[in-house]
Amino acid sequence: MALLGASVLQSNAEKVNALNVFPVPDGDTGTNMNLTMASGVTELKKKPSNEVGKAAEALSKGLLMGARGNSGVILSQLFRGFAKSLAGNDQANAMEVAAAFQHGVDLAYKAVVKPVEGTILTVAKEAARHAVQYARRNTDVDDLMKEVHAKAQEALLRTPEQLPVLKQVGVVDSGGQGLVYIYEGFVQYLTGSTAEDTDAIISEAAPVEVYVPERTEPVSAQAKLETLDIEFFYDMEFFIKRNVSNAAVAAFDESAYKKALSKDGDSILVITDDDIIKVHVHSRKPGDVISLSVQYGELTDIHILNMREQHREILAEQGITEHSTSVNLSAAELLAGQAIDDRPTEHGFEVAPYGMIAVALGDGVAELFRASDVDIVLSGGQTMNPSTEDFVKAIESLSAEHIFIFPNNSNIILAAEQAIELTDRSVTVIPTKTIPQGIAAVLAFKEDETPERNKEWMVSAASMVISGQVTKAVRDTSIDGVNITEGHYIGLKEKAIVTSQPDLLAASKELLESMLEGDADLITILTGEGATEEITTALCEWLSENFSDQEIDLQYGGQPLYPYVFAVE
Amino acid sequence: MSKVRIVTDSTADIPLELREKYGIKMVSLKVLFGEETYLDAVDLTPDQFFTKLKESSALPKTSQPSPVEFHEVFDALLKEDPEAPIISIHIASVLSGTYQSATIAKSMLEEAGENVHIIDSRSASSGHGMLVVLAARLAQEGASVEQILEAIEERRNNSEVFFLVDTLEYLQKGGRIGKAAALIGSVLNIKPILSLESNGTVTSVDKARGTKKAMAKIVELLKASYGDAEVGLIVAKTDDEAATHELETRVRAEINVKELHYSSVGAVIGTYTGPGTSAVFLYKI
Repeated sequence: MALLGASVLQSNAEKVNALNVFPVPDGDTGTNMNLTMASGVTELKKKPSNEVGKAAEALSKGLLMGARGNSGVILSQLFRGFAKSLAGNDQANAMEVAAAFQHGVDLAYKAVVKPVEGTILTVAKEAARHAVQYARRNTDVDDLMKEVHAKAQEALLRTPEQLPVLKQVGVVDSGGQGLVYIYEGFVQYLTGSTAEDTDAIISEAAPVEVYVPERTEPVSAQAKLETLDIEFFYDMEFFIKRNVSNAAVAAFDESAYKKALSKDGDSILVITDDDIIKVHVHSRKPGDVISLSVQYGELTDIHILNMREQHREILAEQGITEHSTSVNLSAAELLAGQAIDDRPTEHGFEVAPYGMIAVALGDGVAELFRASDVDIVLSGGQTMNPSTEDFVKAIESLSAEHIFIFPNNSNIILAAEQAIELTDRSVTVIPTKTIPQGIAAVLAFKEDETPERNKEWMVSAASMVISGQVTKAVRDTSIDGVNITEGHYIGLKEKAIVTSQPDLLAASKELLESMLEGDADLITILTGEGATEEITTALCEWLSENFSDQEIDLQYGGQPLYPYVFAVE
Repeated sequence: MSKVRIVTDSTADIPLELREKYGIKMVSLKVLFGEETYLDAVDLTPDQFFTKLKESSALPKTSQPSPVEFHEVFDALLKEDPEAPIISIHIASVLSGTYQSATIAKSMLEEAGENVHIIDSRSASSGHGMLVVLAARLAQEGASVEQILEAIEERRNNSEVFFLVDTLEYLQKGGRIGKAAALIGSVLNIKPILSLESNGTVTSVDKARGTKKAMAKIVELLKASYGDAEVGLIVAKTDDEAATHELETRVRAEINVKELHYSSVGAVIGTYTGPGTSAVFLYKI
């Protein structure tokens, strides 16, 4: 049943995406919900059960871990409540199912700080309320599900009446639509539609789990990956034999060992048996890995492969040459390696008082965060927001007493906050909504202050920044009195579209003018894909002529889809 | 009763007319550009220094006065009036060996040294200079050693020093970077907001992106310290007139400045801060 729900959602993901109100090319609800659902289904398949309680629990756990974007998080909460309500049940009658829907809604409302009506929440709420009423008079679960679906559809159509921005654009809520598709799948299952091809569709939808603690552009194709982006490039595999030599060997603590490996490595796999340990790791420092491991016993079957070399070969086969910047990058990397060497370490790691995790788009932005003491930069991906699980993994890979997370996107905050509940580590999410807010917050960090005071400062620092972004409109629409044409450049001041121009420079100027209405000392320009040197120079000249009281800081951001991101503070 | 005599060193950056007005005796540190040696504030004015700093390829070096130089000054004053106590106030001992030299000079005076008081200002430039001028004014008014020492301790405790440098390179190469070292090589045009700890060690109390935001933050910090209280402000002039002027304007717009003075960052202090420095020194009236 859940499989079909996921399948219907997946085949309609693009339709859901198309309902996104803002004509900006990222944060796609359909994609986020689809990936969330796929994660739920993967978990469900791992633990198939004929008991409804157990099946719902497995689905819920998968959803919780895979939750991406606000709608994904809400979806995961809906099913978490659903599963909790059915826990321990072999089967469920109509009354119980209805109560489960209601419990899901209750939990979802609690999870959202400021619930907004006219969204997926409303759709779920009205459907659940109807289910409870219907179940008082009818006992058939199939009929109940049909009613839930119909009511959800009805509620969905009313969302434009509840949320003005939907009406303005003339669409229904995208998250709500996603939920209706899932319910539609449930109905199809119950009414006997076969689940043929479901498997094929689902496995296609399942996200490739790309989890790289440090350098995090999702690997979509070899050609998109720079050879030097493979940071942990020695692929190592070996066995540690515990009992062959007479020499005393150190006691083996698996989690400490993994932590030590993660300092300069990823893709870590450690399988511990009584007298043999299998180790797989991608490391930047193979020597350190060997020195560390040899303390625990004799090493055998040692394989070390250079993945950059492999990648170069692949590129060569495809006739792609490496970028000429590689020399600079490797020099920078050498320095970075050196800096790490300088830290005093015991077994290669130590517990720091603080750790920081930021979500970023673009290699330049990621580098700015790293240079500002951020330990892990997760990729914001243009349509793939990091999931709750990505955050949990990042949190657990850090050996720090307290961890701050900077989501840097309003659609990622909930997934980050949900991660707090899934870990016993001490974590604070600083709800930054933009990259400029994130940078300001990170810089407000003070190592010798308490987490509470740091949070206060970071939140306040983020609130002092005005953020602006320039991107291409993905469709014709009209919002806040601005007529937007597909393909034109639109300027967003915080969440509001303030300009739409066929010309990038003109749109940038108009946006900056509106951002610079108040007092300000500093203008930051982050150049992304689509920015040209000519336009950037013209923009800087125009700024220094018209806004001579402000300092200008020009930085390479490398963010996709947004040629320019601005900060005024 | 004989009036207290006040001695200091050239790093107090006290303008000549004030030294003359209050009869402050000054012992110069030395600045070395390659083979050439200059007496700070005597052979080399602040303007001349910053011009030379720009032209010279090698960084200048400085050297503290020898105990003998202090001894000569103390001895001469005691010969003028053996009854007159001497208060000799110096740059923070964590920043320079000058205080040490003066202390040795005192011990060289044997018994006569009992009337000589060597004071660690635990500050530098006008943060140190404001204590010297206050002491000299009180001395002229006939205050006792105890009264003067108490007054300068109080002034030290209600004063604030903030400064911005163009680059941390000079503080680092001069070995005076203290706790601001962590900010070397940072990205995003980060400006450390520099101050002095209670013993005079250079520290970074905060940071901001760009000079203008750093100045705004200094004003914020001053506002937190002084609120609307009446304060005295000393603006230290350097080669960067525009920055100094902007900092002064911003401070005066928000802080209730009742006394305003100007000083100039001299050659020795300038050797450690480098060009493009701006600094403000404040005290509660």
